[in-house]
Amino acid sequence: MSPGAAITRRGFLAGAAAIAAAGLPRSEPLRGGSPEPPRQGIAQGPENGARAAGQETRRAMSAPPGKSRVVVIRHESLAAEGQGPTPERVRDLLDEAARALAGDAKAADAWARWLKPSDRLGIKVNCLGYPTRPAVGLAIAAAAGAAGLAPERMIIWDRTTDELRRAGYEPRGSGSGVRCFGTDALAQRGSGGYGPEILTSGAIGSLYSRIVADEATALVSACILKDHNLAGLTCAMKNFYGAIHNPNKYHDNGCDPFVADACAHPLIRDRLRLVVCDALRPQYHGGPAHRSQWQWPYGGLIVSTDPVALDRVALEILARKRAAAGAKPLEAENRPVRYLASAQSRGLGTADLAGIEVLSIGKPWNEI
Amino acid sequence: MSDSDNSEPEPAAEAAGYFCFSRRAFLRAAGAGACAACAGRLGDAAAQAEAPRPQTAVHDAMWYERLPDKAVRCQLCPRECIVADVERGYCGVRENRGGDYKTLVYGALCTLNIDPIEKKPLFHYVPGTTALSVATAGCNMECKFCQNWNVSQYRPEQVESNLVPPENLVRIAVTRKCPTIAYTYTEPVVFAEYVHDTAAEGRKQNVGSVMISNGYIREPALRDLCRHLTAVKVDLKAFTEKFYAEQCAGKLAPVLATLEVLKDIGIHTEIVVLIIPTLNDSAEEITSMAKWLVSHVGPDVPVHFSRFHPIYRMKNLPPTPVETLDRARKVSMDAGLRYVYVGNVPFHAGESTYCPSCGKVLIKRVGYNVDASGLRAGACRGCGQKIPGVWSQEDALAFKSREKSEPKPPAAP
Repeated sequence: MSPGAAITRRGFLAGAAAIAAAGLPRSEPLRGGSPEPPRQGIAQGPENGARAAGQETRRAMSAPPGKSRVVVIRHESLAAEGQGPTPERVRDLLDEAARALAGDAKAADAWARWLKPSDRLGIKVNCLGYPTRPAVGLAIAAAAGAAGLAPERMIIWDRTTDELRRAGYEPRGSGSGVRCFGTDALAQRGSGGYGPEILTSGAIGSLYSRIVADEATALVSACILKDHNLAGLTCAMKNFYGAIHNPNKYHDNGCDPFVADACAHPLIRDRLRLVVCDALRPQYHGGPAHRSQWQWPYGGLIVSTDPVALDRVALEILARKRAAAGAKPLEAENRPVRYLASAQSRGLGTADLAGIEVLSIGKPWNEI
Repeated sequence: MSDSDNSEPEPAAEAAGYFCFSRRAFLRAAGAGACAACAGRLGDAAAQAEAPRPQTAVHDAMWYERLPDKAVRCQLCPRECIVADVERGYCGVRENRGGDYKTLVYGALCTLNIDPIEKKPLFHYVPGTTALSVATAGCNMECKFCQNWNVSQYRPEQVESNLVPPENLVRIAVTRKCPTIAYTYTEPVVFAEYVHDTAAEGRKQNVGSVMISNGYIREPALRDLCRHLTAVKVDLKAFTEKFYAEQCAGKLAPVLATLEVLKDIGIHTEIVVLIIPTLNDSAEEITSMAKWLVSHVGPDVPVHFSRFHPIYRMKNLPPTPVETLDRARKVSMDAGLRYVYVGNVPFHAGESTYCPSCGKVLIKRVGYNVDASGLRAGACRGCGQKIPGVWSQEDALAFKSREKSEPKPPAAP
């Protein structure tokens, strides 16, 4: 689906609520029916990290000890222009990635590692400029539904309902199915939909969205991979600038350490279960606005429980594309991505590629 | 934003017998059928999610430069934010829309009250009169001790506001017999286009305009505003770059530059310094500040040392001891400042104005009650000492800003 295209109510219901409630049969297996597509790891360690019995750490569920795992699944159907892939198609690939990430044979088992039926899930999409595609948000909801979450316990959200609508989501505040609304929809509770108290985390002092503070017990960062004119990169972590009321105050110094501090607050840190990155057609320059001339058909989804590692891999993809396209490195434009090191220093994840195991499903992740 | 012109103004204003607008009165007075309020008053999330939002007060920004790739560089304040398409500047109220820079708060008033002019505080400006006091969301600093953070540190869509076009606001001032409009509570620099246009409209109706500001503004924009304003109050938050960097996310040097430009323009200026225990209260720092003011702005500029109260992100410090304020006042006067006041301490002797020549009380202030009987035609009734200030509405409206002075030639060796 193109970013600007509106999804219909029927499509929304079909894509999320109905799927989540009833589950959908799998469509054709990835890569022409290959049950076990080849995976490529760039880091040391086993190609297919075996699930360690009883291992329930949030980072790198089944990655080698000390490493964070990031799964990149690519398929040409994800890169199509125009309508783009359906939520069902995205979900198939997402489940494949989830299995690889968790080392489980069944996708439902993988999702059950991250989400419980009693959770209230907030799927944080990024609707600013070039947005996370609705198909991705809906696919996450559908997959979570298969893990036992009732659709009514899920919210697809961002800062404002208007932004969601413009990004192609269909806002729904109540009724059956997955809800979808902005923080501003909770403004009747006061403070514009944000919590009443300033919460301090490192260098930031912010009100956090009531969707995070009051509604959700679990979060998925449903981000999009794109360039940012000040931060260098906006992806898994910077997505949560949409959870605080004053992100405009925290763009100095390439958003460092502010992005890390925003994510280090327990409201985010303790709730974040998974990152699913829309890398269908990433944008390597000119972000965060929509600039189609700098987008390319990467055709990927990137999935990890480690937001820092995912951002590091995402940055590497952008850097390689910039080099291939003849664009200056971010450092040469005085906008290196500084906040990754700060995030690692705060224990949010792994910022060093050497500490990250990247599993490719389909086309190798680093083949731009 | 202003430290001294405390928002939460309703109870205080009512207690003092001044008028504050209820929401209904606000709408009626503003004549604003167009409500630019943010989302959030329509009931549950369902209704809100499905309801279209009204347009915010979007207006062309006046001070910016276009850059490649539809980016812009804001030229309003010293931050000079480079803002990509769809993004906003640091203030949160200016947005790049396809390469055109827009203010989102033109007339989007979140506060509308009638205050005594002394509350700004302006002590040497038409004393005993009222000011129609307005604000929008947003600020170009983030002071950890901000008294009005619940509007200044918000984005416009996060606060309730109502559209009040400049001519409507001036009409309210005339109707309510307010000789002055005060742009205050938050930071007027961030809604400078509205200040500019409203102040110009006000002059046509004999209504003055005062800007209660942090002084964080670039010179061209300041000069544009001062062509219509009649007075300015600047918060000088400290006299060290360290304080500005650590407590305000700003810089001292641009504020000092603003004070020099105001001096050059010739507009009536007063200064507030919020004294915060352990952070900016040393006698050495106050003395240095006072000496700088004497030499760069002049000994006659009124300076108010205000008492800090814990709030926002600075709740770990106690209120300023009155003795600290007394000391600040004393060392400043020892350094040559002639009109130094103590603020936020009711019934303090330092609220009143004294003749620097004979020591007579010229303007007795108790809270917002004012007795200016010691002053006659801008001079001490006792000894005739001329007292600097703007003592009548006619004087206020007669002010015309001086054009930029030519740089002084280097002194001969």
